[in-house]
Amino acid sequence: MSMVEINGQQIEIDEDGFIVDPAVWNEGLVSYFAKQEEVPELTEDHWKVINYLRQYFKQFGIAPMIRKLCKDTGFTLKEIYELFPSGPAKGACKLAGLPKPTGCV
Amino acid sequence: MKPPMHVAKENEVASIGLPRVPKQDEQTAVLKKLDDLRSSMRSLMVMLENCTKCGNCAKQCHSYLGTEDYHNFPAARADLMRRIYKRYFTWTGRTFGRFFGADDFDADTLSKWLTYFYQCNECRRCAKFCPFGIDTAEVTIAARHILSEIGIMPKFMQGIAVNMNKTGNNMGIPQPAIVDCAEFMEDEMREETGLDIKIPIDKPNSDILYIPSSADFFTNVDTMIGAAKLFHYLGVNWTIPSTVLEAANFGLLFNLNVMREHNQRLKAAATAVGAKLVIQGECGHGWRAAKAYTDGCSAPVSFEIVHILDYCDQHLGKLPLKKLPLRATLHDPCNYARAGEIVEQPRRIMRACVENFVEMTPNRDENFCCGGGSGILMDEMMEIRMKLGKKKAEQVIALGKLDYLAMPCSICKAQIPVVMKYYGVDDLMMGGVMDLVGKAMILGEA
Repeated sequence: MSMVEINGQQIEIDEDGFIVDPAVWNEGLVSYFAKQEEVPELTEDHWKVINYLRQYFKQFGIAPMIRKLCKDTGFTLKEIYELFPSGPAKGACKLAGLPKPTGCV
Repeated sequence: MKPPMHVAKENEVASIGLPRVPKQDEQTAVLKKLDDLRSSMRSLMVMLENCTKCGNCAKQCHSYLGTEDYHNFPAARADLMRRIYKRYFTWTGRTFGRFFGADDFDADTLSKWLTYFYQCNECRRCAKFCPFGIDTAEVTIAARHILSEIGIMPKFMQGIAVNMNKTGNNMGIPQPAIVDCAEFMEDEMREETGLDIKIPIDKPNSDILYIPSSADFFTNVDTMIGAAKLFHYLGVNWTIPSTVLEAANFGLLFNLNVMREHNQRLKAAATAVGAKLVIQGECGHGWRAAKAYTDGCSAPVSFEIVHILDYCDQHLGKLPLKKLPLRATLHDPCNYARAGEIVEQPRRIMRACVENFVEMTPNRDENFCCGGGSGILMDEMMEIRMKLGKKKAEQVIALGKLDYLAMPCSICKAQIPVVMKYYGVDDLMMGGVMDLVGKAMILGEA
């Protein structure tokens, strides 16, 4: 784990570059993580996915099933990968400030 | 030597009850643990005593073939522990040292153990070809256990143990989310079939307890749907426990006491609903842990344990299956084919579900591991993982144009798609065997 400074704020990130405490996430941090995940420009579509993930995480304390994410946002899995090159579990969750999904994934 | 994975820190290992032993006490602690295993794990002594270094295992090990690293040659890997064992527990090793294949415990011993025992997939292919039957997986299991007992383990394993303690599954899915996922999958099945097919969670008085992999509630939805359709068609009284939404048992892969705790959770869940039958979902090592070690961990138990593919195979003749127009092959999960007697069942199921079933070579108990086995799924080890998966990719590519690759284990499902993409195949459908059952079963029209 290490600390990084983003917009003058000290943020603790884990070995994989995910925010350690999802509660400190705010919209101002997203562009920093977008650079890490090779997302060149944040569009409305990116925010749709990020906001959905945030809302689901707030309600259930975990990332949603990938198929549910696709169905509820209206994006195919391929489109999600176009938006977040390292995928829904890694890239999208990192930008949304969720913990990294672990286990057999 | 710097191990290739993130290593869990002192506060992290303490949080799962496996505190780090101070550096200066490591040697004493490791030798004490090894001494304990000499009496409790007799198989380990057979593996440590008998190697003649004939070299036969080198060409059978995908880890060595993929990485070409000397210490990934099974006899050399086991020697990392064997030489310490000889030095401290045999008179020849104590007296003649290196001349008798014995080494002193030094500053590098444990980092080498961590590095190389976590490049062994515990696939047991070496044991299949060794003239003495030496099973390096036994040595790997022992080494990882000793390491974790003194507080040394990958962050990946530690994180999974945290989730398991908190929620009862590797992914850390809390009970309300489990119910939400089940409802989502029920909706999916309703849209597809027009039928009300249930995925009951924590239903009391159930005859059957189904234990899916937690990944079936995140990425491998169709595996779960296949099982739910099967139970629906057979009209059985079943449920899934939110307390053990996990067929995997990572304890087998890093700490044997953790394995026992997991198994006792399974017993408690089955007892709570009065289940007479526990059915394990698609998970390789978890099947080995449940099948082989339930008696040792939790006896006496009042239920039988079967695998979902065995159970499905037993009922295959009754199922309303229409063959899918696919050219499909099967990757044998190592723990099914070499440790779990699940070999012909998936083949019979697949032949009933697809028009053209083809075998990869070698197969069954001679199959090559996917390279993710034993929980080597760390992102930071990706380069090594791709080397470990090289033999598998070659096997699949040799079959030419395929429509579907079945890999009925969640670790394989996480590893193989990345491997295939890395070796240039990105247009292949991949998933479980139960996925095919779900898709081939005719259950009504939407």
